[in-house]
Amino acid sequence: MHPRHIPRIVLSFFLFIFLFGGCSRVDHKQSALDPKGLVAQSQYDIFILSVWITIFLFCAVGGCLLYVLLKYRAKNQEEAMEIPSQSHGNSKIESFLILASTVILVILAVPTLQGIVLMNKVPDPDDEATLTRLNLDREQIEGAITVNVTGKRYFWVFEYPQFGIVTANELVFPVSKAIRINLTSEDVIHSFWLPKLAGKMDLMPGHENFMWFIADQEKILSRTDRDGNPYKTDVPTAMPAVFDGSMRDAVFAKQDFNATFEPVGGVFYGQCAEFCGNSHAYMSFRGLAQTDEDFGLWVERLQTAQNPNLKPSKWNSSSEYPKGSIVIAKDESLIDENSEREYRAVTDVKKGNEPSFSSGAWEKLHSDDYEIGKTIFESAQCGQCHALDRTGIGSKGPNLTLFGLRTSLAAGWMRNDRPNLIKWLQNSQDIKFGNLMWNGEGVDDKHGVRSFQPIPIDEVNDSPLKKEEKRLLNEEKKVRVNQLVTYLLEQS
Amino acid sequence: MATESVKYVAPETDTKTSSKVFPRPGQNTTGIVNWLTTIDHKKIGLMYGLASLSFLLIGGLEALLIRTQLWSHNMEVLSNRQYNQMFTMHGTTMVFLVIMPMSAAFFNYLMPLQIGARDVAFPRMNTLSLWCFIAGGIILNLSWFFTGGAPAIGWFGYAPLTDNRFAEVLMDMGPDFWIFSLQVLGIASLLASFNFITTIINMRAPGMTMMRMPLFTWMTLFVSFLLILALPAIAIALAELMFDRSYGTNFFDFLEGGKPHLWQHLFWIFGHPEVYILILPAMGIVSEIIPVFSRKPLFGYGLIVFSGAIIGFMGFAVWSHHMFTTGMGIVATSAFSILTMLIAIPTGVKIFNWIGTMWGGRIRFDPPMLFALGFITMFMIGGFTGIMHSSVPIDAQHQDTYFVVAHFHYVLIGGALFGLFAGFYFWLPKITGKMMNKSLGKFVFTLMFIGFNLTFFPMHYLGMIGQPRRTHTYNLGHGFETWNQIATIGSFILGIGVFIGFLQFVHSFCSKKLKPAGKNPWDARTLEWTLSSPVKEHNFARTPIIKARDQAWENNYGPPENHSEKVPLDDHGVHMPDRSWTPLLSGIGLLTMVLGLLFHLSLDQSGEVVRDYTVAIVGGVIFILGVILWAVEGGGGYHLFPKEEDE
Repeated sequence: MHPRHIPRIVLSFFLFIFLFGGCSRVDHKQSALDPKGLVAQSQYDIFILSVWITIFLFCAVGGCLLYVLLKYRAKNQEEAMEIPSQSHGNSKIESFLILASTVILVILAVPTLQGIVLMNKVPDPDDEATLTRLNLDREQIEGAITVNVTGKRYFWVFEYPQFGIVTANELVFPVSKAIRINLTSEDVIHSFWLPKLAGKMDLMPGHENFMWFIADQEKILSRTDRDGNPYKTDVPTAMPAVFDGSMRDAVFAKQDFNATFEPVGGVFYGQCAEFCGNSHAYMSFRGLAQTDEDFGLWVERLQTAQNPNLKPSKWNSSSEYPKGSIVIAKDESLIDENSEREYRAVTDVKKGNEPSFSSGAWEKLHSDDYEIGKTIFESAQCGQCHALDRTGIGSKGPNLTLFGLRTSLAAGWMRNDRPNLIKWLQNSQDIKFGNLMWNGEGVDDKHGVRSFQPIPIDEVNDSPLKKEEKRLLNEEKKVRVNQLVTYLLEQS
Repeated sequence: MATESVKYVAPETDTKTSSKVFPRPGQNTTGIVNWLTTIDHKKIGLMYGLASLSFLLIGGLEALLIRTQLWSHNMEVLSNRQYNQMFTMHGTTMVFLVIMPMSAAFFNYLMPLQIGARDVAFPRMNTLSLWCFIAGGIILNLSWFFTGGAPAIGWFGYAPLTDNRFAEVLMDMGPDFWIFSLQVLGIASLLASFNFITTIINMRAPGMTMMRMPLFTWMTLFVSFLLILALPAIAIALAELMFDRSYGTNFFDFLEGGKPHLWQHLFWIFGHPEVYILILPAMGIVSEIIPVFSRKPLFGYGLIVFSGAIIGFMGFAVWSHHMFTTGMGIVATSAFSILTMLIAIPTGVKIFNWIGTMWGGRIRFDPPMLFALGFITMFMIGGFTGIMHSSVPIDAQHQDTYFVVAHFHYVLIGGALFGLFAGFYFWLPKITGKMMNKSLGKFVFTLMFIGFNLTFFPMHYLGMIGQPRRTHTYNLGHGFETWNQIATIGSFILGIGVFIGFLQFVHSFCSKKLKPAGKNPWDARTLEWTLSSPVKEHNFARTPIIKARDQAWENNYGPPENHSEKVPLDDHGVHMPDRSWTPLLSGIGLLTMVLGLLFHLSLDQSGEVVRDYTVAIVGGVIFILGVILWAVEGGGGYHLFPKEEDE
């Protein structure tokens, strides 16, 4: 093979891959080639248009080049020394080519401008023509949900101002409504990228940006099997409810971080797309699509959990408690004489009947591990950064309300289950170096947050007694971290 | 030195230096002093070339580490901070220490030869430019050894990530090294640019009208103008950032009312012309090579010159397309989107004209031509993906993904680096006087072409399926592994190709076995090919009188009226300037001053911040001393009397 053939062969090979790659619908978690919403679809359509335009241009110009190289190559030494006609220009051809390229650009420019308007503005609900063109209903726009997204190193705060609730790292949204996203940042620049729904927009500190998206239920329900045949799933399979934990169960059942991804249609993968520091790669998030009904129930659930007026109060000897009431009262058996726990009334309870298990009128609301975990949460001062109420962007760490319903941990990086959460709490820096969750390292080895990390046992230098002592201590630490994990995962 | 019958004795009056401290080394200087004090544009070009090739190896090594880290999910070859330092240093090195100075190497060596000049207009300034470039490279790479290590802020250094408030290592000095290095490199580029512009405007041989200039010289002129217009923007931005970091000002601190957007605008007003600063020299080189290996004049010379000017001009009007996702609003994004699309037209014109040049020619596939053809095809792909990015909705998905990484590597490796390698294969025989092995050249091209495409083509797809750039790792289950592995294998093939090419270049200087090149081995067209290889110290024995555009070609094949003539020999000979220590002295002063500024902060025993500017002031004084000596050291020089053919 002559060396000059090589570039052509390589090029055609890559052109083939490009064509194939552009059109195939492999279901990648975070793929922009698999749009599931109006805005992403428009971006995808313009992209595909541009791919065809450039493939055409590449074939046309590349074809010309190939023709020239083949036709006018010097076939032997004598030919290489010939002097061809020294022509040096043809203004007609040149003007024609300039005009032709301008026309091609116009073909791309028109949908581009339309796309820019679509991305930046939610259509006016009174504009019938646009709504019809986009195949949208009036209610989908009028019932739009607003979410204020705040980027922080290295997680996301999602506030729902219409409902007075706040959550982190998992954006729950109704599938049938337009979602307006207001973006800002508290520290450096981040970028909110949800490829299957709506491209990306930066979160700039001291500045508010806007984007919007709307998911497409039809697309979420439609799947392709292994042979590439399309089929439909039902709503509970494609979009399990978040509020009762079925989403978490479905994701855990289907999606293993150690295996190839199997899609749960309602789960969308997002990622910070602007370099923001050490842990930038770990700053991902999820979008969870819900039916209107399930979304409503989730909002209600979160509102209840974050309403300070609905928190259980201390037992009061002068009150009567109807069946099902929840109070906080002493339980000396838990840790010491000062420990408290939550009780639920089994029957209607009269005045002065102090909660205890002996009377039979009260029962434990949570396990002992949960209650001890709660005291650990407090004594380790987790609450300094992590709120279990409506505190939004003011809190330093992710909001942990209903944490047990979350599918992911560490800003979408790992599955939110017991083993992972234990590893995370023992030393989050091992998993996500550079994250800002304080692990007390080097500052205060006595601090509560240090009490989960196992002590390394030096097999050579430690005496057997010392080793045994350390092993016991590590066992104790393991118990403690398990209790804290129980508390966190039962936030549901 | 061959001298004609000496009928003239050089005047003694202007040869003696008035400085006794650093006397100008004269005609017979050899060895290391000769290289340190040279003011010869050819030697400076060589040093630029060698230094930039060395930095290419460093930047390439960083790239290979990056690719190794991305081989599979959750790899731990580099920690995330090390990875972030790697891509910051890789980007900064490749842009400022490789492509730009490598272009400057060609400008320096060839531009005066192409226009028939003795040297550039300000030879000592040229030397200072070289030392500033070397100093900038040293400052940047010194950062590895001090607090915080190399900068981990990206080559774009977006505020407020560069703010002390967000430093991830206490007293991180990396960004400071980056700031000062870029400032010093900016000085190097400015000195060179003013020099080249003055040279091209004033020192062309008689008859070398602007529209007879070789395309490469035209591109030198455009790039020089782009540099002097673009660099002030980043100089201001860097100065502001330095004040923010060192003296507590609030240009970019949003909590005090600063604007992170401001940095992005200032950076990209420089940064986008910078893209054309990187690519236009390669376009110039390719515009020289394709006519030679097609044995035809450039098709549409005027149009290519004009489109180069248009590209340069419009390059200043499209910077915000780097900021489509920062929230500029509908009107601004639309305007910048359309302007960006328009810039595709003059770029397309160049490609059409290169194909038009080959049309009807006799095409030879020697290594320079292979690289030039590689340039056209790869740059075309890079250009096409560029058109995609000009469309805001597409960019909303592509921005900051591997698709963009693929795009600009197609432009900067497939484009700029292939163009520069084409230039090496084309002009090194002129510079060394020896022909390089063609088969090895073709082998290098094959390795680089295959390796390059294997590395960067899959990145288009990776970006589309969701891999963000500047992430040190990715999670399992995204399906990124296979394509990343192909890319990593490709990058090593590319690396081996570049390294063999580097060895071949160096070898061609040292080897005594290679075939001599003669004056015009490629039967090339422009003026430098009328000189002997390697070019004599004095360039032209007698200034040529230019009669046509492709003078070397016309001398061989053109009608007699197009043959060049020579300015008659006078009794003055060729005046050669003496070498000079002052540029090196000024450069050392500048380096000392920068190091003094970098290390001026310290903590005393009670923990108070102490600012000590002694070293910086000493450096400044050395710099000023250098400039004063420069001004007063006198003309000096000596005269050569080469025979007419001795050039």
